[in-house]
Amino acid sequence: MSEDKPTANPSVILREEFDDWAVLFDPDTAEGYALNPTGVLVWKQMDGKHTVADIVKIIRDNCEDVPEDVGQHAQDFVAGLVKQGLAGYEVKE
Amino acid sequence: MTVAARSAERPSEKLRVMRTPKSVDIDITDRCNLRCKYCYFYASPADVKQDLPLEEWLLFFEELKRCAVTEVCLAGGEPFIRQDLPDLIRGIVRNRMRFSLLSNGTLITDELAAFLASTKRCNYVQVSIDGSIPITHESFRGQGTFTQAVEGIRTLQRNSVPAAVRVTIHRQNVRDLENIARLLLEEIGLPSFSTNSAGYLGLCQKNTEQVQLSTAERHLAMNALLSLDRKYGGRISAQAGPLAEGKAWLEMEKARREGRASLPDCGRLTGCGCPFSKIAVRSDGVIVPCNMLSHIELGRINRDDLQDIWQNHAELWKIRERRSKPLADFEFCRGCSYLNYCTGNCPALAYTLLGQVDHPSPDACLRKYLEEGGELPEELPD
Repeated sequence: MSEDKPTANPSVILREEFDDWAVLFDPDTAEGYALNPTGVLVWKQMDGKHTVADIVKIIRDNCEDVPEDVGQHAQDFVAGLVKQGLAGYEVKE
Repeated sequence: MTVAARSAERPSEKLRVMRTPKSVDIDITDRCNLRCKYCYFYASPADVKQDLPLEEWLLFFEELKRCAVTEVCLAGGEPFIRQDLPDLIRGIVRNRMRFSLLSNGTLITDELAAFLASTKRCNYVQVSIDGSIPITHESFRGQGTFTQAVEGIRTLQRNSVPAAVRVTIHRQNVRDLENIARLLLEEIGLPSFSTNSAGYLGLCQKNTEQVQLSTAERHLAMNALLSLDRKYGGRISAQAGPLAEGKAWLEMEKARREGRASLPDCGRLTGCGCPFSKIAVRSDGVIVPCNMLSHIELGRINRDDLQDIWQNHAELWKIRERRSKPLADFEFCRGCSYLNYCTGNCPALAYTLLGQVDHPSPDACLRKYLEEGGELPEELPD
């Protein structure tokens, strides 16, 4: 079980809009969630192959002015997505 | 924190257009069991006498998924006339979209309504109701359609499908508006309904004398709808027609009296925002800017790339760039005291009335209405 490798809910649509911002749209609930460019970068790494630590490294490699506590931000962001049903963790039989 | 690697500037960024359309209006069929005398579809360029097979639509829905389209609206024609409607909807759901349907309500069965509910992706089914009693509803829609349409709504409600209603106002129902509101909001128990009026499109162009409101009837409809909207706490809406005009024209007159320089987003051809978020497809698979601008062919589904059309097609950009055209540049608007409070209104009606998309539409022109003897609606107390 890859408890530490989050996976985006495959039913959820990522609509990339202006200035690299995006909206996550859940067609089952019709609810949308705004993502800033860093959130988009995180979302795209949530493929069940990257741990949150891997994702934090990708953020550090691709973003400018990254805060010291980016790891906590990333953990909170992923936890929020999981809580709202937009992401999960793969469970192997 | 900022992402360092930004994408290259795209043409679409000059007017801040989404990368792909958010929603797509699809005429899923050219067929209908009715021939309403003011139908915008028949006798218009959208009426192409051709339906595509299921497989073509299913392939197109896969492209819509790749484009991250979130919603399709199925219209026509009458969508419920297609025997393969459940298969089409399964294709929409499979490709992560939600959907809505525009219907005359007469072909909705319990089986179909239960299916729609089971998908959990149906935003609404909009049924047309034009009267509180058969004689007004059926005046242009045909005998027996009132009971069937009302039963269609009740079938949707029984199966927990969100039911919406559009009332098209014309000469035969303009004095029935209070009873229509009572029927829909009190007896049937809808949360709200929307209104429009028969516009100079499609079959209405042939029947305009019979169908379209006179200047005096527009005034009557505006007053009645504004009053009913107040009585029912804002549960009546409109994007066009007498209620929308009544609200907009009161604002315009207020701005003129106060000597305001302008109203937001006015003074240019800003009347239509659709090409910034949605696109349409005819029943033969031809992609068009809007189902009321079906003469402008942008490409064909499953042959041309939708995202490329959306981002780069010159005809689509011409419609978007209407927004930069000052109303003062049009002879039609010269000397108008409402110029800076006006949007130029619907481009489709500008086209059907004048043969020009790039022109203000005379249909909802306040100055023209007043010159023809029209009066502004009575201002209601706050």
